Amino acid sequence: MLHAPFDPVTLAVPFFVLAIILEIALARLGWVKTHYETRDTLTSLAMGLGRGIPGVLLGGMIFAATVFVYQHRIFTVPFEAIWGWVAIFFLEDLTYYWFHRLSHERRFWWAAHVNHHTSQHYNLSTALRQTWTGGIAGTWSLWLPLAWLGFSPAQIAIQQGISLVYQFWIHTEAIGRMPTWFEAVMNTPSHHRVHHARNPRYLDSNYAGILIIWDKLFGTFQAELDEEPCRYGIVKNLGDFKLLRVAFHEWLGIFADLARSKSIHEVLGYVLGPPGWSPDGSRDTSASLKTKWRELHRPTE
Amino acid sequence: MIFSKAFLIQTAGSAVAVLILTGIAAWARLAKPMPILDEAAARQYFTQDFPASKIDQIWISDDGRGAVARSGDLALVLFVAGDGYIARHLTWDQAMAARPVNGQVVISFHDIAAPRGQLAFATWPLTPGI
Ligand SMILES: [Zn+2]
Ligand SMILES: [Zn+2]
Repeated sequence: MLHAPFDPVTLAVPFFVLAIILEIALARLGWVKTHYETRDTLTSLAMGLGRGIPGVLLGGMIFAATVFVYQHRIFTVPFEAIWGWVAIFFLEDLTYYWFHRLSHERRFWWAAHVNHHTSQHYNLSTALRQTWTGGIAGTWSLWLPLAWLGFSPAQIAIQQGISLVYQFWIHTEAIGRMPTWFEAVMNTPSHHRVHHARNPRYLDSNYAGILIIWDKLFGTFQAELDEEPCRYGIVKNLGDFKLLRVAFHEWLGIFADLARSKSIHEVLGYVLGPPGWSPDGSRDTSASLKTKWRELHRPTE
Repeated sequence: MIFSKAFLIQTAGSAVAVLILTGIAAWARLAKPMPILDEAAARQYFTQDFPASKIDQIWISDDGRGAVARSGDLALVLFVAGDGYIARHLTWDQAMAARPVNGQVVISFHDIAAPRGQLAFATWPLTPGI
C-alpha cells in the first residue's frame, strides 16, 4: 500500500481542540496549574495551521522519494501483519529520536525545529507550534531506510502520525508525574517539560518521541528535578510573537552569519556546528552554558 | 490546482478553530502574573540568562517591567514580551547611545530574533555609581 487510507493527525484534530478547551477550563477553575497568553496561543496555533501548506507543496516530492526507495526494498512487510506494526513502532520511534537529536545538536536542522521551542509557555497549544521548514531541511530522508527495509509508505506515514498524536498530550503542566513504570518506559509530560526547558542543566536532553528508553540508552536522559523548575523557551527567547519571526528567524540568522564568514571553516561551523557556534566562541552554545552553570553551582568547600 | 478542495475546507475549518481557541484563552485570563521587578528579581533573571557575568549595578525601569545591568563594558537588558522576560546584551556605549522619547528608550540589539527592546526610562543615559 502506498497511500495511507487515513491520517492519524487529521483524525485527531477535534481531540486537540477539545483537549485545549479542557486544559483552559481546568486552569480557569483553579484545578490545574497552567498559563495561556493570548498572543502566544495565537502564534502556536497559527504555526500548527500553517504547517499544512509546505506539507502540500513538498509532500508530493517526499512521497515520491519514499515510493522510489520502497520500490527498491530488500524485504516486504505485509501491511496487515501485527509483527510489522510492532516492528515499525520501535523502528520509527528510534528514527524519531535521531531526527530530534540532530534537530537540536546541528544548527542547519535546528533552524527548522527551533520554532517548536520558541514559546515561553508549556501548554497543549505549544504542541501545535510545528515547523514550516522541516521539508526543506530534508530530515524526512531519515525515514527512507524504513521504506528500504520494506515498510510501505502508507505504514510509515501512519506511524509518523501516531507518534505526532502521542506527543500532543505530553505538552502540559497539568499532569505532574505518571505512574513509575510509565515514566520509566514512555515519554511523559514530565520528561518533555525538561526537553522544552532552557535551564542550562536541562538543555539537549529527552529527545524521545513515544518511548523514553532511547534517551536512557544513548545517554541523553534527564529527569525533571523538583529543585529545578523548568523555565520554558529557547536560550535567547524571541523579542515578540511575529509568526514569520518564529518560522524563519534562525534561517535568517544563518544567512547573516554566512554573509560575514571569512573561511570555509567558518561556513561549516555556522551551518553544521551546534546552535550558537561562533568562530571566537563569543556566543553561547548548550555546552558553554552548561559549563558556566556548573561553575556557578560548584559546591564550595 | 495545488490545493484540493478538501484541503482548503479543512484549513478554513481549522482557522476558525484557531480563532475560537485563542478567544477562549484570552477570555480565561491565564497569563503569568508579572509583578513589578525589584532588584533581587531582576538579578535572578540576569543570572539565569548570563550565568558567568559579574553584575556591577542594576537599574529598574520606571514602570518596573524592565531592567538594565552593567557588567564591565556590557549592558545586560531585560524587557517584557507578553507575560515573559527577554534578555539581551550589547556594549554599554551602544546601549547608552539610545535616545529616550516620552520616557521610553528603544534599544536595538542587531539580532533577528529580537531586533529591539523597549524600556521605560525617563532619565537616559544611565549613570553608573548613582
Ligand atoms: Zn525539540
Ligand atoms: Zn515538544
